[in-house]
Amino acid sequence: MDKAKLDALAAAGIDTADALERLMGSEALLQRFLRRFLEDGSLDALRAAVAAGDWAAALKASHTLKGMCGNLSMTALYGLFTRQVALLRAEDTAGAAALMPEIEAAYARVAAAVREL
Amino acid sequence: MPTDQTRPAGPAALPERGAMLIVDDDAINCAILENIFAPYYDIDTAADGRAGLQCILARQDELCAVLLDVVMPELDGLQVLRALVDEGVLEKVPVFLITAEASGSVMKEAYALGVMDVISKPVIPYVVLRRVQSVVELFRARERLSNVVELQQADLLAQAKKIIELNKGLIEALAAAIEFRSEESGEHVRRIHDITRYLLLHTPLGEGMDMVQIEQIALASIMHDVGKIAVPDAILNKPGKLTPEEFEVMKGHTVQGARLLEQIPQLRENGAYPYARDIARHHHERWDGRGYPDGLKGDEISLWAQIVSLADVYDALSCKRVYKDAFPREKVNEMIRTGACGCFNPKLLACFFAVEDQLHKLYEQEERHGQG
Repeated sequence: MDKAKLDALAAAGIDTADALERLMGSEALLQRFLRRFLEDGSLDALRAAVAAGDWAAALKASHTLKGMCGNLSMTALYGLFTRQVALLRAEDTAGAAALMPEIEAAYARVAAAVREL
Repeated sequence: MPTDQTRPAGPAALPERGAMLIVDDDAINCAILENIFAPYYDIDTAADGRAGLQCILARQDELCAVLLDVVMPELDGLQVLRALVDEGVLEKVPVFLITAEASGSVMKEAYALGVMDVISKPVIPYVVLRRVQSVVELFRARERLSNVVELQQADLLAQAKKIIELNKGLIEALAAAIEFRSEESGEHVRRIHDITRYLLLHTPLGEGMDMVQIEQIALASIMHDVGKIAVPDAILNKPGKLTPEEFEVMKGHTVQGARLLEQIPQLRENGAYPYARDIARHHHERWDGRGYPDGLKGDEISLWAQIVSLADVYDALSCKRVYKDAFPREKVNEMIRTGACGCFNPKLLACFFAVEDQLHKLYEQEERHGQG
């Protein structure tokens, strides 16, 4: 990956140096996992669960997303999902639902940068 | 696009590859861990707790380590851990909990169940690598050590057994050599050993003795006549009656035997020695005090010397000797019972006659053996 692409990912909220260290320096793995992240259905599941008020399903989806974002060092999204998981565990469903616009915005930035690769 | 293959400095690859199981429902987590550990292990993965548990139970003898996620479908990580505790697997295979929920209660229960380490997600490669490798190396070293110790113990036991057998062989050879001098078969000492051992094992005479003591006394009985080596052939093999002077020399084999045994330092350190010396000196004492060399009476004579004395008389009467023919079994028993030959502790006689049927079989076997 050239510097421009790495910079674009960094601007979208991904700590690429940290992610590459976790992947033992493999840029190929990083690219593969970033693409898989876009294909993952967990965000759709989260949206549906929040809309339906199914908070158990929302917790499951948010937890999965938190794990993936952590592994890929998506710092901004990871912070949002960490907060959402904590709110859902504390049964603050309104607070958890209120995070959705921020999550959508952060996700859109990441998705755009990944599609540019 | 170039792929950077440089790896952060971690522990050097271990000399032996082993198998590692990663149990995680998240494919990316699995892939990250697999990527970290692939240089060191043959990696297997399971996508839920139930599959993971089955794999661990099936491969517990080959797995070097298990990396276990907590939040999973089917069975969660803690449920898998509890099942492993029930199966006693955690002592054999180190299990690491890899979790995004390193909360107090999860960690506390995991450690209480016997997990090796709790590592938080997202993982930091050099941390998880070092923590896992250290434990795997510890388990390997412990197993190598216990294998070495086991082998050494088996070696030592085998050697000790050989030495004991050799000692026993030498003692029997010495005793048999003396028997041969008096033109006997060498079977006499073998039978004295067997009769003594049988009486101690199968009658109340051996009450309160352990197997070691009984074997020591039986071994010691073999040496009862070693003093005969000091008796000249002319007296030892004289077919007729001994003169009083000759009989005095013959009687000396008791004292000479004890003295001979006293002069073997290695024997003095052996558990059989006190019995051997006592038996050699006192196996011709009599219950009524009219025996030799010390004229001991009744319980002054040790139980083992009394037993060997009776076995010696029984065997001498039952077999042909240079000075006499073999007596029939009934005659032998009558002579012992009536005191025509020797004078014994009534309790000893009662025990002896209680098992005389079995003792007599030693002679029947021999006859058959001789005929064959």
